Amino acid sequence: MSEARFDELIHPSTRLSLVATLAATDWAEFAYLRDLLSLSDSALSKQLSTLEAAGYLVTERLSAGRRRTVRAQLTDTGRDAFAGHVAALQAIVGGDGPVG
Amino acid sequence: MEDLTPEQAREALDVVGRARADVALEVGLPRWYWWAMAAGWVVLGVIGAVGPVWLTTVATIAFGAGHSAVASRLLDGRRRTRGLQVSRAVADRRVPLAVILMLLVLVAVTVGAALALDADGARHSQVWAAVIVAAVIGFGGPEILQTLRRWMHA
Repeated sequence: MSEARFDELIHPSTRLSLVATLAATDWAEFAYLRDLLSLSDSALSKQLSTLEAAGYLVTERLSAGRRRTVRAQLTDTGRDAFAGHVAALQAIVGGDGPVG
Repeated sequence: MEDLTPEQAREALDVVGRARADVALEVGLPRWYWWAMAAGWVVLGVIGAVGPVWLTTVATIAFGAGHSAVASRLLDGRRRTRGLQVSRAVADRRVPLAVILMLLVLVAVTVGAALALDADGARHSQVWAAVIVAAVIGFGGPEILQTLRRWMHA
């Protein structure tokens, strides 16, 4: 069980969906995330950059023949932060009040 | 942190749950796998019907070995599409079990269909049974597996 720690960076709805999706994967490609979350390329890029700058995820550019893709995966720091955030939300739902 | 109400926290947890469920839907096997299996099914049916016993035996072993080699990489269902790799935590360990169960049922259906067609006086009953089941595998494999997973809560 992770220590409850509310994360302001993860909490906004779009970013929460993005991090939750990545938490359920080893990695996901840019196009998959864009389609799943119904985001524009630029909006998704911005979200990924924000999370990458915080050390929560890493992106990797790959090219196989003519196919170029960007893969994103959560770092251990990102997974810990997400787990802590979920624990914080569960604590609030459970009636423990605000969690720091 | 902002003062979050339990209701808002619940909504956020719903978002998390939906995201995980969306990824869980990606657990499965690639479409080409089902068509390859369907093709193999027909080939085996034809060989079984018109080939000598030794060839049927060799073909069955080859099909089984080939299937095992491919399936061992795919059976965990974590790479159904090129777009992502589902984490082990999400890909339930019962998925391979569901695939194996499905294969056993399909073998039983093939044998049953062949016997029924044969009893009805159909020529090449083995081939027709294999073709029927191959069509089911090719067109409905992913859906059947998904239904099985739902029943098994996998």
